[in-house]
Amino acid sequence: MTIKPLTADQKDALQEVLNIAMGQAGDSLARILDAFVALSVPRIRIVEVANLGKTVVEMVGENIDVSAVRQAFYDDLRGEAIVIFGQAGCRDLADLMGYDTDIDADAEHELLLDVTNVLVGAILNGITETLGTELSFTAPSIMAERRPIDTIITPENLPWTHALLLEVNYSLENRAFKSHLLLLMAEDAIESLRKAVNDFMESI
Amino acid sequence: MPTPITIVDDSAMSRKLMLRALPQGWDVEVSQAENGALALDAYRAGKADVMFLDLTMPVMDGYQVLEAMKKEGLNCFVIVVSADIQPKAQERVLQLGAMAFIKKPVSTEEVTKILKEYGIL
Repeated sequence: MTIKPLTADQKDALQEVLNIAMGQAGDSLARILDAFVALSVPRIRIVEVANLGKTVVEMVGENIDVSAVRQAFYDDLRGEAIVIFGQAGCRDLADLMGYDTDIDADAEHELLLDVTNVLVGAILNGITETLGTELSFTAPSIMAERRPIDTIITPENLPWTHALLLEVNYSLENRAFKSHLLLLMAEDAIESLRKAVNDFMESI
Repeated sequence: MPTPITIVDDSAMSRKLMLRALPQGWDVEVSQAENGALALDAYRAGKADVMFLDLTMPVMDGYQVLEAMKKEGLNCFVIVVSADIQPKAQERVLQLGAMAFIKKPVSTEEVTKILKEYGIL
């Protein structure tokens, strides 16, 4: 299946929608961590699912251990949200949230699930508010724990050939914490999103 | 004489939304810039008595623009317009010399309120 690329206008509009949503999610994160969160410019691209693992390594960096949490969303737009946390950042998170920095695996799970829920919830709500779409999402679950970055994505488990990849990054000043939030949407969801973006552009 | 203003944002759509949020009847000559470096160029060319400035941009971001203005003692009325709604982001831009902060999506009411508050409108 071939995917019609997003037009420059669609990409620009989507980028701005994502920017607003990212700001809201960043503010939520800043509030729970009581820290200043640095935001990146969101990136949007269509990738071949077979190359997704490689793309993720390029985004996050080679040879690092990460934990990752996934959360699925459905209804008007369907896809997967994945938040990737570098291992050093997990210790920062624990510290900022007032845990002992040598937290055990269970406590770390809980922390990553909580933070993911806040980030993904805020970003999806931001998108739906701006685009006027409806979305539901599942509870977050751990998809990788302290594993090398190049092993976390297994494209053979995804029934898609192409995916729209939306990427936003959050980091903290003077801290190692860095998280990458990815939204992945399959072929049919790209068309739904394209329609929602077109409607939005017409409305302004 | 119309007031020269510059709208600075990397997103064309966002600049369009900002344009539409300008109060009706405000006599302005609008320029646009898609990053901070171009915004400073616009200021130096006399095109920005008032600047609506986004924060998160490639090449040169909004914070860097404010820092450069502060360092060079530039006298521009900057209103930051950003999706970064953290209270600390607002504090920081005000410390760097911005006059006001508006969160995206921007509304005419908010722009009008700020302009009136400072006697620009």
